[in-house]
Amino acid sequence: MIRLQNVCFNYDRDRTLTDISFHINKGEFAAIIGANGAGKSTLCRLLNGLLKPSSGSVEINGLDTGHTKSSVLARQIGFLFQNPDRQICRNTVAEEILFGLELLYKDREFIAERLEKVLSMFGFSAEDNPFNLSRGERQRLALASLIAVEPEILILDEPTTGLDYKECIEIMEIVREMNKKGTTVIMVCHDMEVVLDYAERVLVLSGGKLIADGETRSVFCMNDVLEQASLIPPQMASLAGRLGSGFEDVFTVEEMTELILEKSNEKRRVEV
Amino acid sequence: MRSFFDYIPGNSFLHRLNPLSRIFLSFMISIACFSSKSHLFLLLMILLNLVLAALAGILNRGMELLKNLSKFSVFIFVLQVLFVRRGEVLLEMPFNIIITEDGISTAIIIVLRLIGATMPLALMLSITQMNDLSNILVVKLKIPYKYAFAFTTALRFIPIFASEMSAIIEAQVSRGVQLDTKNIFKKTRLILPLCLPLLITSMKKIEGSAISAEIRGFYLRTGESCYRKYFINWNDVGVLLFAVILFISAVFSNNIKL
Repeated sequence: MIRLQNVCFNYDRDRTLTDISFHINKGEFAAIIGANGAGKSTLCRLLNGLLKPSSGSVEINGLDTGHTKSSVLARQIGFLFQNPDRQICRNTVAEEILFGLELLYKDREFIAERLEKVLSMFGFSAEDNPFNLSRGERQRLALASLIAVEPEILILDEPTTGLDYKECIEIMEIVREMNKKGTTVIMVCHDMEVVLDYAERVLVLSGGKLIADGETRSVFCMNDVLEQASLIPPQMASLAGRLGSGFEDVFTVEEMTELILEKSNEKRRVEV
Repeated sequence: MRSFFDYIPGNSFLHRLNPLSRIFLSFMISIACFSSKSHLFLLLMILLNLVLAALAGILNRGMELLKNLSKFSVFIFVLQVLFVRRGEVLLEMPFNIIITEDGISTAIIIVLRLIGATMPLALMLSITQMNDLSNILVVKLKIPYKYAFAFTTALRFIPIFASEMSAIIEAQVSRGVQLDTKNIFKKTRLILPLCLPLLITSMKKIEGSAISAEIRGFYLRTGESCYRKYFINWNDVGVLLFAVILFISAVFSNNIKL
């Protein structure tokens, strides 16, 4: 579905990405993590053709992004930016959702059906002014207008930045729901708890190079990789790492609680 | 990515000059360009701009500026050639379109003037920090601080808005808006609705800056509040004299027939 082969990218004279190769299958939920300036957002822009690789190739469903316009790739890729205000350009919620639909589809019945479905799915009022909504609601509206066109691939560039916990969970649950229905999701995120909770696969970037690519939990066990990328693992994973043997596979509060209870019951049984 | 108004640090002769001398020199070059009708003089002014850019270590920016102004100049040149109808007719075309000798001569002068007068201002801004510019406007030219601040803030916001607009365009292209088309008319029609998000984000940024300035005591500032001192030395005197000579040469260049 998504294939990058030896991709390099330079901004002016500075090399931003060096020799990046990976393959993402349909229906995967992958997170790209790394410190600021590692090249995460650049990589996302290469995926939807906003940037063209200096060398190597980026293929989306067999289409080479180097030779395909971004507006054409928009039929397959939905891109959620960190700042929703750059995306919203209409005076009502309904017009905003219709904007993308009308660009990509001609069937009026289909458009009306999709609009109704998305409005009820997100609980928006059609006539609300988008610029009167809260930051989290505007981010949800930006996501709603992407989801309305049913993209096969969803790229999220720091979707939870500036959102409170409730708004963050709302956004991520919608994305998870889309992923369950078969949408491929690629997410750039600085919140390692969110990455652990939602992503199945993690790609770690450091200094423009891909230094790790694997299943989320196994990547969070690679302390040297995380250190190289200036990342801190989720708190529970750090605690488990410090507790040492017997706690290796613990990543969440639930797992930790379960293990502690299990160990204390075992100790009690031995004492009895 | 750097814009034409971003400050480029350096320690060149021009960087070390008093900001007032730099402003004066750039304005005199612009005025000289508008005062002269000589093709040769205007060409020399463009060359002088490039020499000044090289002296300041910003020749690349100077060349880039020249390239961009040249593109815009093609449009101005065509308009002038088509609309000036006096003088000897060189070419007659359908729909009563004529190209005259005067038309071509005037078009060349206007294009050279445009390039010669715009370059020094942009180059001056490239080697002058905005704080120095507003300080010098307040301290030396006695302009009230709020107006000087508004002027320099407006200049500072140009690249910010340009980068915001390109981010908005990226966001819209990602949604399927065909802004990546090569058809200039279609592109213009598609860009117009994007003024709304640009306006909203710009207003938010401006409001944020205004509040930030106010809560730090903006209205308490007077002409004496400037921490930096700006002295005029012999180099500045030399540059000021050179600027005056340029202007006088521009006036006299009109008498030279080539």
